[in-house]
Order: sequence, then structure tokens, then C-alpha cells
Amino acid sequence: MKITHRTGERQAKARRLGALLALAIGLAAAPHMAAAQDDPAMQADGAVDYNGTDENDPLEPMNRYFFELNKFFDTILLKPVATWYDGVVPEPGRNGIRNFLDNLRSPVILANDMLQGEWDRAGTTASRFGINTTVGVLGLFDPAADWGMPQHSEDFGQTLGTWDVAEGPYIYLPVLGPAPPRDLTGFVVDQFFDPLTYIYWDRPKTVPTIRFAVNGIDQRARSLDTLDQIERTSVDHYATIRNLYRQIRSNEIANGKRDFDDLPDIENLNFDTNEPESPSLQF
Amino acid sequence: MVTTLTIHRARGFLAPLALCMALVASAAQAAASTGDAAKAFVEEVSARAIDIISDKTTTKTEREAQFAKLLDEKADMERIAAFALGQYLRTPTPEQKAEYLKLVREFIVKVYVTRLSDYNDEKLDILGAKTKGDKQAIVQSEIKFTNGREPVTVDWWLIKNDGDFKIFDVNVVGIWLAQEQRSTFTSVIRNNGGDFNALLDHLRKQIDKAEAGDLSDITAAN
Repeated sequence: MKITHRTGERQAKARRLGALLALAIGLAAAPHMAAAQDDPAMQADGAVDYNGTDENDPLEPMNRYFFELNKFFDTILLKPVATWYDGVVPEPGRNGIRNFLDNLRSPVILANDMLQGEWDRAGTTASRFGINTTVGVLGLFDPAADWGMPQHSEDFGQTLGTWDVAEGPYIYLPVLGPAPPRDLTGFVVDQFFDPLTYIYWDRPKTVPTIRFAVNGIDQRARSLDTLDQIERTSVDHYATIRNLYRQIRSNEIANGKRDFDDLPDIENLNFDTNEPESPSLQF
Repeated sequence: MVTTLTIHRARGFLAPLALCMALVASAAQAAASTGDAAKAFVEEVSARAIDIISDKTTTKTEREAQFAKLLDEKADMERIAAFALGQYLRTPTPEQKAEYLKLVREFIVKVYVTRLSDYNDEKLDILGAKTKGDKQAIVQSEIKFTNGREPVTVDWWLIKNDGDFKIFDVNVVGIWLAQEQRSTFTSVIRNNGGDFNALLDHLRKQIDKAEAGDLSDITAAN
């Protein structure tokens, strides 16, 4: 009785949100940079999340600094450009650009589908690439999705995840955003699955750079409202983004499957089990 | 003689087998009915929530009040609030705990009425359910949009409290909301050296901010 989501579009959506969280900034109240060491509760145990991850953020002060830095560049540069792009380029144009960029990523997705042993999905990726590059006019359109082959994404960070490689401590970098060791490794390895890397190996990196920038602008434009709302409704914006990033990644690694085995035992959880040795607090 | 013996043997063997089968069947039935009850529960709650959010004749304050009522009836607020404190569950004094429960309820109402305000007349399809024992269920559903937007998956994690299902957590496109709250709540407490009052202050500020946000939205609309 496994709930298996057909991942396709939703996956694509979650991926976009994930990538955009990576690119985009943060906002953040973030006035409190320090203090983890003084905290007795923290020394006692690390709180383990639903997905078996814990707070695991030893570089939090540095991460918060870069988070603020990215937020600054988002405010003065990325967000205005994305807002302009969203307003000036009509929706069919933006969708064409998105489809084109997604199609260009097919070799990376295919390589990771295969490394994960997901042969059906690898077949889908290959067919999509063939159909969309030809019928879809060099990938500007996505007829394959209408024919029952929706877009999905994979990257080498996810592949490592399916091989049970842990995410490692949370790291937030300028420009790239959330980049814990597993996903940063994945980002680097993915470059080697990408034909563009070899085509432009000895040449000026104009085209890859433009692709990186347009991709970032498009993803930011697609999340203007979502990110504003997340900021507005977060008690601690940095911590919210950190948690969202982790949840989105584990959802991507599981390809949208959800299981009680991945969830904490909450049956005996309540305020009244107030004895210190209460067995109900195993999360 | 031989025949009788066989029959005796067969009886002796069949009875436990029948019992086993009956047990398996009833367990399966119980699982199915727990799942069905969970689905029916989600059907009802989501219909009410969509009604509240879609009714644009009400003011935001009225919508918040209706939503709060729905939460009180259908969500396991105490358990959610306890969960959101993570390893700090045992740190508040009774007064802090009472204040926290009050604020967290208000906070959730404000946040979700805001977050849900751009949903209108949407349709929620129940796709399936899985159960854990007879007390917990995850109901999988999908929101379809009338305007052609991509559907959104929503999973509902339910737990029985006094025999009735209550919502414990909701997963939207892969994100468990109570978990998201917990990570920020614990972060605020930790970054203030374990001071529980810091969380209460942050919640108050956030509630004020949401209210101020509402006002500016109204001004913009006018």
C-alpha cells in the first residue's frame, strides 16, 4: 500500500522551488547570530527531524552572514531583474525559455536516472529529449508532457542520496545558496555530465554563463510571490529556508514517495508526559 | 477408519486455518475502514476549508474566526504545539505554556489564512490512504486548479484522539508544515540561549506583522 506519486509536474515544481531557494537569497530577521554553545538543551541532544537529519549547522554564523549577503544582492539585483522579466516577457515566452533550459539539461537528468537504476524514468528522459528537440522545435515547446511523459528532474546530489550518502552539515554559499557537501559535490559532478562543459572547455564561458543567469532569473521570477509569502510568514527566515531546503531535497530523493517509516513516532507525544525519562520524546 | 482419521485431522487443521483467515480478513477490513474513515474525514475538512477561503463576501477577520473554529474541531492543536517545540518541549513554565498555546493557535490561523488566500473554488481529489495501526493515517490528495495551473499534492497526516481523527500535519508539495514550524521555533529558542520567552516575543511580532500586512493589502486593493 505504498503511496506512489506520479512525480512529473509536481516534481518539476518542487525542483523549481528547490533550485530557486538555492539561488535566491533569504531574507531574515536573523538578528541572533550566536548562542548555540550556551544552550544546555542543545548539548543534551540534537533534535532529529522527520527525515533523520538534525539541526546539523555548525557554521551557522557564517551561513547566516552569506544568507544576508545573498539577500542583499537579491534585493538590489536579482529580484528587480526577475520582476522586470516577469512583467515584460509574456508568459508563452517565459515558458519557452523554461522548456528550452529544461531540455538542455536532459543529458544530466538521463545520466542520473541511469545511475539510480531508474530505467523507466531514463527512458522517459531520452524520449522527451528526442521529441522536444524535434517536434518541440529545439526544446522551446514541451509536446512530450502532453503525450504522457511529464518532466522530472534529477541531479547527482539526489543520486548520492539514493545511495544513502548523508547530506552533511548545512552550508550556505554566496550565489549558490544552500550547498551542503553532498549537494555541492553533486553540483560539481553534474557539470561533467553536461555536454556544454566540454563544448566550452577551452573557450570563453559566455554561453554557460548566460544560461546560468537566465535560469536563475526565470526561477526567481517563478517564485516571486511564494518567496515573499515565506518571508512574511516566517518566525526565523533563515531557519525556515534551511528546513524547506532539506525537506524539498529528501522529497526529491524519494521521488515523492511518502512512508510512515520516514516519520517520527508521535502517538505518545504531549505536554503532560513531563517526566524527564519520558520515552515519548524520541524524535 | 482411515477416513474418519483424515476428517479429524482435517478438522483439527481447518479450524485454526479458518480462524487465521478470519483474523486476516478482519484485520484487512479494519485497515480498509480506517483508511475510508480517514478519507471521509479529509473530504469533510477540506470542503469546509475551501468554503471558508472561497467566500469573498466575508472579511478577513471573519474568515480567520471560521478557520480558527475549524482548527479547534479538526486539528490536534496540543500535539502540534508540543511537536513544534522539539527538544524544548519540557522547558516552558505552566504560564509560558498557556501563553504559547494561545499564540501558536493565533499564529497558525493568521499564517494559513494568508497563505491560502489565493486559492478559490478549487477542487480537492482524494487519491488514496495508508494506515499505521488503527490510530494513524496518511491521506493523499491533489488540488486541481480551475485556471490550468499544475495540480498541487497535499497529504494529510491524521491521528486519532478520543476516537476521532484529528489533523496532525499537512504536507504540501513535499513539505511537512509542522516540521517547518518546529525547525524555526527551536531555532529561535536556541539562538536566544534557550530563552523560551524569545519564542513568545517572536510569535507576537509575527502575528502583529501579519495583521499589519493585512492592512497594507487592503490599502493596496483600494
